[in-house]
Amino acid sequence: MYQALLTRKYLTSKLMPLLAMIAVMLSVVTVLVTWSVMGGFLRSLLDSGRVLVGDVAITWPATGFAHYDDLIEMLEDDGLVVASSPVIEAFAMIQLPDDRTEAIYVKGVDPASFDRVTGFIDHLWWKPLDTPTRRDKDAIDWRLLPGNRDDLARIFENGTTMTRPDPDGGPDEPAALLGIEVTDYNQRNSAGVYEPYSPAKAHPDGTIEDQNTFMPRSGRVTLTVLPIAKGGRLTEPVTRSIAIANEFQSGIFEADSKTMLVPLTWLQDMLDMDEGGTVAEGSNLLDLVFDPETGEFVPAPIVTTGAAPARVTTVLVRAQEGVTPDEIKAACERVYREFAGKYPGQVPRPESIQIQTWEDLNATLVGAVKKETGLVLFIFGIVCFTSVFLVLAIFWAMINEKTRDIGVLRALGASTNGVAAIWLSYGFMLGLVGSTLGVIAATLIVVNINPIHEWLGETFGLVVWDPRVYYFVEIPSEIVPFNALIVFAAGILTCLLGAAIPAFRSARMDPVKSLRFE
Amino acid sequence: MTATTTHPEAPASPPTHGSILSVRDLRKTYKLGRVKVPVLHGVSLDVAPGESVAILGASGSGKSTLLHLAGGLDRPDKARKGAPRAQITFDGRDIARAGRGELDRYRARDVGFVFQFYHLLPELSVLQNVTVGAMIRYGLGYARSRGESVAHARELLDAFGLGHRLRHRPKELSGGERQRVAIARALINRPRLLLADEPTGNLDAETGAQILDVLADLREKFGLTMLMVTHDANVAQRADRVVRLGDGLIQQD
Repeated sequence: MYQALLTRKYLTSKLMPLLAMIAVMLSVVTVLVTWSVMGGFLRSLLDSGRVLVGDVAITWPATGFAHYDDLIEMLEDDGLVVASSPVIEAFAMIQLPDDRTEAIYVKGVDPASFDRVTGFIDHLWWKPLDTPTRRDKDAIDWRLLPGNRDDLARIFENGTTMTRPDPDGGPDEPAALLGIEVTDYNQRNSAGVYEPYSPAKAHPDGTIEDQNTFMPRSGRVTLTVLPIAKGGRLTEPVTRSIAIANEFQSGIFEADSKTMLVPLTWLQDMLDMDEGGTVAEGSNLLDLVFDPETGEFVPAPIVTTGAAPARVTTVLVRAQEGVTPDEIKAACERVYREFAGKYPGQVPRPESIQIQTWEDLNATLVGAVKKETGLVLFIFGIVCFTSVFLVLAIFWAMINEKTRDIGVLRALGASTNGVAAIWLSYGFMLGLVGSTLGVIAATLIVVNINPIHEWLGETFGLVVWDPRVYYFVEIPSEIVPFNALIVFAAGILTCLLGAAIPAFRSARMDPVKSLRFE
Repeated sequence: MTATTTHPEAPASPPTHGSILSVRDLRKTYKLGRVKVPVLHGVSLDVAPGESVAILGASGSGKSTLLHLAGGLDRPDKARKGAPRAQITFDGRDIARAGRGELDRYRARDVGFVFQFYHLLPELSVLQNVTVGAMIRYGLGYARSRGESVAHARELLDAFGLGHRLRHRPKELSGGERQRVAIARALINRPRLLLADEPTGNLDAETGAQILDVLADLREKFGLTMLMVTHDANVAQRADRVVRLGDGLIQQD
């Protein structure tokens, strides 16, 4: 009881320990805000990482696998699956209007089913907007301009179907979607929104030509792919030009700067993965036969012995809400085993096929961010650990000051443990108050981190998180209650550790010497 | 291997029948760095219940040491070979051999200390300075006895003329008032033995006399046994018995 009384009195009458409490509070704020921002960053990455891959990808890279329509049907019959979609993934080169050549990851997708799995339509960038984005306080977004509205509505529609109208009135042509960062023709401004600008093309004679190209309106790229025959053999590169329907932003810079979506059938045709005849063994495509009607040699008719079904490299799957990655992965493995049993020798064996969750697919990136988070927390943890020594030094000095009081308490019958408990309970209270204030302050900072950041920018010109530099428009952050609890407990533990040695010392004090202490 | 031998202690002389506090063959040596400073050389003393004993002696004669040993704040030296074992008996219990917990309880229940420099806790009010003794004695059980302890503390402080100073801090009191608070604190657990170390040493003559009056009243009222250390012969004269301590031995009783 006397410990509680003295703790209360010391808490309200001593300045130095209050400084220790503030140090603990600031340590808690530092660690919790860092953890929340890094955690938010990781959460944003994970959320964005699902945009182009859904929940699970069943992949047989390079040559791909056939009968995927049947697999999709079987998957969609499973209760855990909402939708699935066929995809071809391949490496390619594109040539941009300014003649730059870029290596790119091209995905052939069926827009309707791909949207059911990934919701990619929500991530199409060019669309008319009625209200500015949260960060765009001055409404400078190019998509808000009334003059662009009809144009952007048409471009958005093109993006959803992955087609572009023929300017000469012919049928719509297949069109591609580019990651918003692929071309470098879109400039990200301080509000974190893009506006198109005209790329310049340098000529050998030293002149520079303004391209005046807004890719989704009239831009085209030239795509070069290297088809892989069913047997895995590389064939001659194939190059075709394709119109650009729209651009997308997934949220992961790596994907948005290196990915291009094209219609599935268009890419199947280009990679020779579409449905076709199987040429009879011994047939020679260069054979010529004499045509008695014309009296000329013409190519010999191709003898086909059967139909080779179309192939894709990947089937993406979206799970029902609430299904865990492991559950949906297990369901996909089960369905694929059944599917492989139906087509023995025609599709990859169940033990060979790659079935990966979106977490597996983003493991490298996520792992790096997790390690970075751990490292930052470790460094800040070490820095905050200095609070232990601060508390220790202050308590040590305080016990020196209170030596005679300790002697008095012992003379009144206080036990050694009872005296030690005064300092431990005092340390605990300092930690409790400091940690509580720290968690409250950290929560307020995290919840208002973007307004605070904006205020710092407006008032002091201090912009730490510049959307022109960082890919996320806003500082991502989230307070995880369990993490807050850990930091809270660590704050209390810091004070208890700091108080432990002085408390032990006070308990060992000789009461007679304490009473005579000058 | 070195053989160890034990030296049996000589039997202590028995406490005088009827005394509440009996001290036998008390020796105490302090270490000042490497130098051993013997303070008590074998003090024996008996105090009867309700008796007031003044221990008179010069500075460094071992008066306070004797008081601390009698109050269980310190332990006597272990007996040397063939020498009688030191014994401190309070109401039949051997305090010199008591464990730490038993000594804590002895100080909390049976003994009240009054010091020359009052030793009040500066952060606590007058009332809290008095009740802190009860908090220590009852521990968590103080919650149950709180009402009674506070009432007793008020009663004591009222009796000492400090009823209007309950919420004051020690720094707001005069020396005499502080010492009266310290006496009230010593009495909060209704001890049977009051150990006063120069209780008037820091006060002027008039205030000192008032404090001695208070102690005399208490002894009469509660039947307290009192052991008071002083170097002032006039103060010592107020006791029933004066014991003169010099060179670590009782020279006159």
